[in-house]
Amino acid sequence: MNTQQTQPTPEQNNTSRRDFLKVAGGLAGAAGLAQFFSLQTLAVRDASSGGHGEGPQWGMLVDIDLCIGCNYCTYACQAVNNLAEDMRYNVVTTETTESGAEFFLSRPCMHCEEAPCVHVCPVGATYHRPDGIVTMDYDLCIGCRYCQVACPYDVRVFNWSDPVADSPRSPNFGVQEVPNRPRGVMEKCTFCEHRIDAGTERGLTPGVDEAATPACVVACPTGARVFGDLKDEHSPISVALHEAKVSLRLREDLSTSPRVYYIPPANMAEEG
Amino acid sequence: MMNAHIHIPKLRLGKTEIDVFPYWLGLLAAGIAFGLYGAFIVLRDGLQVTGLSNQVPWGLWISVDLSSISLGGSAFLFGVIVYLLRVKRFEAIGKLAVLLGFLGYSTAGMVLLFDLGQPLRFWHPVVFWQPHSLLWEVTMCVVLYLNVLLAELLPVILEHPIFHEHPWLTKFPILGKLFNLLHKLAHWLHSFGPVLAIAGLTLSLLHQASLGATYSVLAGRGMWFNQSAPVQFVISAMGGGTALLFFMGVIVFRVMRPGQVKDESLYDVARLAGGTTLLFIYLRMWDWAVANYYSFDRLVDMQTKALDTVAPFSASFWFGQVLLPLIGASVLLAAGKVKNFKVLMLSALLVVFSTVLLRWNYNFAGLIASITYDPFTPDIRINNYAPTIIEFAVATLVISYWLLMFTLAARFLPFSAHNEHH
Repeated sequence: MNTQQTQPTPEQNNTSRRDFLKVAGGLAGAAGLAQFFSLQTLAVRDASSGGHGEGPQWGMLVDIDLCIGCNYCTYACQAVNNLAEDMRYNVVTTETTESGAEFFLSRPCMHCEEAPCVHVCPVGATYHRPDGIVTMDYDLCIGCRYCQVACPYDVRVFNWSDPVADSPRSPNFGVQEVPNRPRGVMEKCTFCEHRIDAGTERGLTPGVDEAATPACVVACPTGARVFGDLKDEHSPISVALHEAKVSLRLREDLSTSPRVYYIPPANMAEEG
Repeated sequence: MMNAHIHIPKLRLGKTEIDVFPYWLGLLAAGIAFGLYGAFIVLRDGLQVTGLSNQVPWGLWISVDLSSISLGGSAFLFGVIVYLLRVKRFEAIGKLAVLLGFLGYSTAGMVLLFDLGQPLRFWHPVVFWQPHSLLWEVTMCVVLYLNVLLAELLPVILEHPIFHEHPWLTKFPILGKLFNLLHKLAHWLHSFGPVLAIAGLTLSLLHQASLGATYSVLAGRGMWFNQSAPVQFVISAMGGGTALLFFMGVIVFRVMRPGQVKDESLYDVARLAGGTTLLFIYLRMWDWAVANYYSFDRLVDMQTKALDTVAPFSASFWFGQVLLPLIGASVLLAAGKVKNFKVLMLSALLVVFSTVLLRWNYNFAGLIASITYDPFTPDIRINNYAPTIIEFAVATLVISYWLLMFTLAARFLPFSAHNEHH
C-alpha cells in the first residue's frame, strides 16, 4: 500500500496535486484502519470452517459398546482443566436405541468442521485452529453466550462463577495443566490442545503417546476412546474407523461435520 | 409560541385534585434504587445470581432487550416520513418518535451490559470484527444507530427554553457560549436530516432483521430455523413501535399539549400502526402454515407439543399473537371512524403487547424445549428457567429509566412543530 502512495502512476501525474493528495490521504487512512482492525489477524481467524489446514487433523472415536459409563473421562477432564464439580466439558448420558436397549453416550466437544459456535461468535473468540480443533481465545470472549445457544450438542460451558482453587477431581484423576479462566467467559473442550502442542514439539504422536493425547482418552479404562490424525491412515483412529464396519456422528442432518465419531452398539449395526 | 401551555393531567379524588407527578417520580426513583441494588449484585457476583443456565443461557434480559429495540421501531419510520417524504404535519410526532427510538435503544444497550459475562469488554465487537456473526452485525448497527438517534435527538432537547432564556446564561457567559455552540451543532445536524434519515433507515432495517436472523440461523434448535423470522421482526417492530408512538403521542400531544397536533394526524399514526400490524399477522399466518408443513419434521412437531405441555404455547400464539393484535390493529386502522381515544389507546396497547410477546416467545421456544443428540431415539428435553429477583431488579432499573426519561421529556420538552430556523 505504501508503494502505491509514494510512486504515483502516470494518470495520477496528470491530475492536480490536490486530487493526488486526496487519493494518497484516503489510501493512508485505509492502511491505518486496516492496521487498527488488524485485518490480517482477522483473515487468519476467519478460517470459519475447519479441516482445510495443512498438517494433521485431529479426531476422536468413541466405541459405544466399550463405554461402561464410569465417567473417568469426565473426571480426568475436570482435573486437567481445573473445573468445579458442576462444570463438565465432557458429559456422559444414558440413551436408548430404537429397540429400547440402554447405552452410554459420552459426549465431548464435536470439533465440527462447520462449527455453529465459530460462525456466530461476534468477536472471533471461538475459532478453528489449522489442525481443526475448535478452541477459545479467553481474552476476546465477552460472555454473550451466543455460541452456547448455537451449539446443537450442548457442550459449551459458561463460567458462571469464579474458578475454583482445586478441582474436586484433583489429584485423583490428574492435576491442573492449563491456566484458570476468568468468571464470565465461555469455556469448552479443546481436545487438550496444550498436550498436543507440547507433545508434538517433543516429537511425540498424539493418540499414541499418552503425554500428547487428550486426558479423557488416556483415562478411559476400557479403551473406548481412540484419538489421532484423521489424515494419517496409520493413526489409531484411522485404523479403528477402518476396522469398524459402521460409524456415525451426532446430528449429521445439521451438516456440521463433527470430528468425533461413534461406533454404534453391535446389535444396532446388525439391525441396520 | 414555544412551551406555551403544557397541561399536566391531575388525578381527581372526589373534590380534591392531586398532581400525581411527584408521586410518579417517587415511584420511578424507588424502582431505580431497587434496580441499582440488583445491578450492583450482578456486577459484583457475576451471572451466577441469575436463573440462567447452560441450557437456557438467554432469559428475561434478552427478552427486554429485544422488546425495547422493537418498540423503538417508529424512529426510523418517521425519520423517513418527516425528513425524506417531507410530510410536515408529522414533524412534532416525528420528534417524539426520535425520543422513543433513543429510549428503546439506550435501554437495550443498558440491559445488554448486565447480560454480558464480561461487561467491561462490551466494546470488543467494535474492534475485533467477526463479520460472519449476526450478533456482530447487530452490535455494530445498534452502536451506529444510537449515534444517529443522538444526532436527531439533540435538536429536540435544545428546543427547551432553559437553553435560550435562563438567567444563568447571562450570569455565566461561558454557559451561554457553550449552549450557543450546541445550538450551532444542533442546527448543523438538523441540516443533515435527510442523510440521518437514510442512515437510520438502513441501519434499522439491517439490525431489526438480523435480530430475527440471530435465531433463525440456528438449525440445531428446530423451530427457530425459520426463514421468515427476519421479515417478521422488521414488520412487527414497525407496527409495534408505531402503536407505542400513537399511545405516547396521545398522552404528549392530545392530553398535555392540546391543539399542537391535529387529531387527524394522530389517526394517521394509528392507521399506519394498524395497517402494518395486519400485514405482520398475514405474514405470521403464512409462517404458521409453513411451520406446520415442516412439522412433518418429527423433531419440530415434538418440540411444539412439548412446549404445549409446559406453557400454553399454541394458545399464546393464537390469542396473543393473532387474535388480540388482529382486534387491536383493525380498530387502529378504522381510527377515523372510531374516534374514541380510550378505545384506540387500548387497541394500541394490544398491538404493543403482541410485539413484546412475539420476542418473548421466540427467545424461549428454542431454549426451553431443546432437541437432544441421541443418534437413535432423539427426544425433546424440557429445560427450566425462572428469573431471579436480581434479574427482575435489573429489568425494573432499565424500564424505570425508560419511563423516567419519557416522563421528563413529556413534561418539559416543547416538541414544537416548527423549527425556529425554518
